[in-house]
Amino acid sequence: MAEKSLDKFKYRTLRFLDVTGFTVFDPVVRLAFREEPNKQLKALFNYMLIPIVFALFCIFVWWQVAPNHKTKSGEVPTPDVVWNSAMINHTFSTREQTKERDFLLVGDARLAAIAEVEAMAAAGTAQLAKLEATLAQHAAGNIKQLADRIAPLQARLEIIEAQSGVINAEMKAAVNAAAAAIERGEGTAQPLLAALRAEDEAKDAGRAAESFIKAQIDDIRSDKYAPLNQARLDVNAVADKLQFLTKRIDFLTTSNRSIRVAAAEEQLAETQGKLAEATTAKAALSEAKRAIRNESLIERLEQQQYASAMTIYTQINRSLFTVFIGFIVAAMVAIPLGVLCGLSRIAMACLTPIISIFKPVSPVVYLLIFQIVVGAFFPDPDSHPLFLFLNSLPFLSTLAINPALIFSACTVAACAVWPALVNTALGVATIDKDHINVARVLRLGFKDRLFKIIIPSALPLVFAGLRISLGVGWMVLIAAEALSSSDGLGKFVWDEYQNGSSFSFANILYACFVVGIIGFLLDRMMIILQRLVSFDGGSTSL
Amino acid sequence: MSYLEIDHVSIGFGPTNNRTEVLKDVHLSVEENEFVAVVGFSGAGKSTLISLLAGLVQPDQGEIRLAGKVIKEPSPRLGIMFQNYSLLPWLTVFENVALAVKQAFPKYNAAEMKEHVEKYVAMVKLSPALGKKPAELSGGMRQRASLARTLSMQPEILLLDEPLSALDALTRAEIQDEIINIWESDRRTIVMITNDVDEAVLMADRIVPLTMGPEATLDEAFPVDLERPRNRTTLNTNPVFRHLRTEISRYMVTLNEDSKALKADKIVDLPSVMPIDFSIYPHIPARGRRRRDLVKVLDPTTTFFK
Repeated sequence: MAEKSLDKFKYRTLRFLDVTGFTVFDPVVRLAFREEPNKQLKALFNYMLIPIVFALFCIFVWWQVAPNHKTKSGEVPTPDVVWNSAMINHTFSTREQTKERDFLLVGDARLAAIAEVEAMAAAGTAQLAKLEATLAQHAAGNIKQLADRIAPLQARLEIIEAQSGVINAEMKAAVNAAAAAIERGEGTAQPLLAALRAEDEAKDAGRAAESFIKAQIDDIRSDKYAPLNQARLDVNAVADKLQFLTKRIDFLTTSNRSIRVAAAEEQLAETQGKLAEATTAKAALSEAKRAIRNESLIERLEQQQYASAMTIYTQINRSLFTVFIGFIVAAMVAIPLGVLCGLSRIAMACLTPIISIFKPVSPVVYLLIFQIVVGAFFPDPDSHPLFLFLNSLPFLSTLAINPALIFSACTVAACAVWPALVNTALGVATIDKDHINVARVLRLGFKDRLFKIIIPSALPLVFAGLRISLGVGWMVLIAAEALSSSDGLGKFVWDEYQNGSSFSFANILYACFVVGIIGFLLDRMMIILQRLVSFDGGSTSL
Repeated sequence: MSYLEIDHVSIGFGPTNNRTEVLKDVHLSVEENEFVAVVGFSGAGKSTLISLLAGLVQPDQGEIRLAGKVIKEPSPRLGIMFQNYSLLPWLTVFENVALAVKQAFPKYNAAEMKEHVEKYVAMVKLSPALGKKPAELSGGMRQRASLARTLSMQPEILLLDEPLSALDALTRAEIQDEIINIWESDRRTIVMITNDVDEAVLMADRIVPLTMGPEATLDEAFPVDLERPRNRTTLNTNPVFRHLRTEISRYMVTLNEDSKALKADKIVDLPSVMPIDFSIYPHIPARGRRRRDLVKVLDPTTTFFK
């Protein structure tokens, strides 16, 4: 009995892998259930081990090739640098979350947090002092090792300089002697010319020897001293952390929301006291006005949210949200129109020219058009009721919805609508003739015919189209965000490109991986949906 | 006047200049509760005949009448069972049958509907597969489901379009028995189309041969005077059965030979075609005068290029 349920579990797992398209893990599952171990091991070796080795090989090549190529933004980052940049982005994001939490903390929790942070800061300061000492030590070590390495070269340089001084003097004397001989009328011009040439050659040789040694010295000076570098990085990391802790203390104390509210309330109480004691009309009026101002200030402070900086994760959220809005709009337009086109040849004839002309238009053109059109709708987005409403909603407020998001989404929709439309029309138009006959024989009405026969039969192709649409939409979105500086992954890349810090290149490569992996996951999601609605592959229920 | 009457019906397909007359002057009368089998070679126009009967296509000439009324469109009184099952692959067996039941009996509530569907699925012995989709069923099971769907609409006339031709011999025999049992217990008119003489003799009251197409027509019927129930195993030794089978088979073979002879008699003028020697033309695009010359050589009246 237990064996049977285990078998069932196995087939369910295999079925799941099949539907999700991860058949590469098939042998792992089969091996776990001891099914033909030799065959599975062979499959594992061929289809898993070899690809992994190949991936490692690619990373190795990257690692080897990258540092050889110097660019304006520094060396091409190696995998570890990119990984490091991913970690830095992650840390930044978690720190923003911590600060937000701190900003909202009240009461005992706040006090406890202050104590904790101060303890951490004290430990950090101690550590920093220790690390700075190490840094100083390594700096001294660096100077010493440089001096040690340069000293012999310096000595050789001095010798060479002395030697060339001697040779130069000799050469000068020979030249003078040849010139004097001519003056005396004893010699010809030949020896003088020869002597001058010899002098030039000797000077060149001397300079070449000197510059060779000097170049060696420069090389040694520019050599990076690994312990010193490491010490510097350590110091920077700890200093960075300390700065963050200082910021936290600020958000836990003076900048904390509850503290600011309390301060405002105190001021209000004071004003009200003064108002009660006021005797002249003028004083009473001014105090009353101040009290009202204080009240509205308190109200505003109580509502205040932490103004979080855009982290990579909020950018991802925003991009995903934008692409889904665009995709859903595209699907809502494409599917009904596609069904209409598939059903009626007249509709197809009407839409064919529109599809043919607007399909090949570059996303950039759509972006600009929608930027203008959407901009015209919202002349003053900050006070527009739509955005005020959207930004007061719980999840959406973190995405900072603005016209830029709307026209990015419109651009995505404009580019994603075509594949879905064409595929839906094709799916509806190529419905099996037998199924049409069944509909006729059963004398189904239009509604039943549409929802029981036509749409189910077209669904696999509809989803194939939607899958292409989502892929296109994701690609278009990143470009649109980069071009229009609309927050999202595209803007992340664009900002990194623009600010040109030492981490920029690594961040861009990191974003490249993020965009790729998310695109892959979106595609997988659509494949699963497609498999679930397609009827030709048998039962796909999990 | 008979119950179902095909009255000098002709039908053809294609544009007027290249028209194929599939059926010409077809005449057949079927009595109520009669089991008629139409036997013909493949390509003779059997499926066209059944589509005509079902009202899926309209004849060019003549009429088809059911109890005196002309059939103009598919009607719930006519149940058709297609050769290739035609089950909807995204629905389970139950849902496939239920879709038909809902159309035939729109006033049923959920419980009545369920009962009705289950009754007919049980009739074709498919109850265990009620919740399965067609892709999970064997060919025989699919044809049973298709039969259940047709029967569940309780049509007055069953039109079976080579229902068993895609099945293996064993499954075939089983479903033949099934159809006969159902017909015997619940009499109704059946027109079955088949290419299997044995099957026709075993099942039908009357066998009508369809001559070879094009311009196929129904010939003189062979009545089957065998007692029912007919036993498949003893039938092989029954002299009446053997005689009938031999007779029909011989007739069909003559039909075939006749048609071959007919075909041989026909002399078709082949166009005078000359292959073009492209090697004499250089492999560069022709323009101007050379193009005109080329076009002259490639004249469609002298070549097969159009």
